[in-house]
Amino acid sequence: MLLTPDMVPGLVATGASARVNAHVAPRFRVGDRIRVRNHNPTTHTRLPGYLRGKVGTIENDYGVFAFPDTHAHGLGEKPQHCYSVRFTAREVWGPAVSDRDTLRVDVFDDYMDPD
Amino acid sequence: MNGIHDLGGMHGLGPVVPEQNEPVFHEPWEGRAFALFASTFVFAGYTVDEFRHAIEKIPPAHYLESSYYEHWMFAFEEALMKRGFVTREELDARIAQLKSGGP
Amino acid sequence: MPKPHQGPAESDPAIRVRALEAILTEKGLIDPKALDALVDTYEAKVGPRNGAKVVAKAWVDPAYKQRLLSDATAAIKEFGFSGLQGEDMVVVENTPDVHNLVVCTLCSCYPWPTLGLPPVWYKSAPYRARAVSDPRGVLKEFGTELPETVEVRTWDTTAELRYLVLPERPAGTESMTEEQLADLVTRDSMIGVTKAKAP
Repeated sequence: MLLTPDMVPGLVATGASARVNAHVAPRFRVGDRIRVRNHNPTTHTRLPGYLRGKVGTIENDYGVFAFPDTHAHGLGEKPQHCYSVRFTAREVWGPAVSDRDTLRVDVFDDYMDPD
Repeated sequence: MNGIHDLGGMHGLGPVVPEQNEPVFHEPWEGRAFALFASTFVFAGYTVDEFRHAIEKIPPAHYLESSYYEHWMFAFEEALMKRGFVTREELDARIAQLKSGGP
Repeated sequence: MPKPHQGPAESDPAIRVRALEAILTEKGLIDPKALDALVDTYEAKVGPRNGAKVVAKAWVDPAYKQRLLSDATAAIKEFGFSGLQGEDMVVVENTPDVHNLVVCTLCSCYPWPTLGLPPVWYKSAPYRARAVSDPRGVLKEFGTELPETVEVRTWDTTAELRYLVLPERPAGTESMTEEQLADLVTRDSMIGVTKAKAP
């Protein structure tokens, strides 16, 4: 498809959501304690290294989205839940940081196990 | 991928340096590079995830030293060459031609 | 830090872009006028004034603020702001107890429909590295100091949700119009590195 100038406003206004309209059961619920998996693929992932092995709490379930790890490599959408997970700053960075500050990271179902 | 792009928590990168009254595009080529995303996305069929991964594979020193829209150029070239829309030879020939003052 | 370009008048990246654009145009795969339209859209039409309008309305209209916090995508769309890199929005509210800061450590994800394209500092290594591990140090560099009793909450944009900070309404603004309030809402306050401007 050739993008022509008259198509630009519509493309800009609509975009391309990564949400997938699929019924996929979530593995976690708000309030659950999770531990991030020791996930080290040589391929694409959206799990930042600083979260590996860390314990957090599910704060929100954003619904079902395409999974970047497979989608980047033409291996399909593998739709799954994406959650907002809360980590304390100390959990991630150790005792020298604020005991009040927190991180909120969007974490896919496949990146976590129950703790 | 545990690549150079995975910067969260890294030390030694220095202060954040905001530019005052920064333009959206510093040079016209940046605007063209930006616009190439939507224009190539619609015909080439790559995903945003693939695009991001192409940038993640930029050799680490070059990733840190090159500018943001140069990263995009790496990704376009890789995605388009992979799908046969353009070859490395075609690109290099045109670059050489433009460098020597050609049209 | 980018290397300074030496050599011929046109820089290497500029030539590289010209080469690709020319080849793709000759092959009929892209239309340069579409590139023109995209450049114009993000240089002139989409920018942080959009987000400022959303914030100002949330400050004066409690029902709108509730809609914004519960379904940001829909509430933002009430202004006609939507689409590319803002398809799934989340608005996070600053309060006296919580100060929010947004980053994308892995690349440069940013809510384009409300803020336009991100500044270079947001996309560069120092911010991406330290917003998650030293947010108070980063805030200090922007002139923002918060007491230890305030929770600094850093949001790492690792998926396709896009985050916008709803800064606190500054004191002494009770008699201001929505338009005047929008002028106090800076881009930096909607990323979270600063508070909104004082009147």
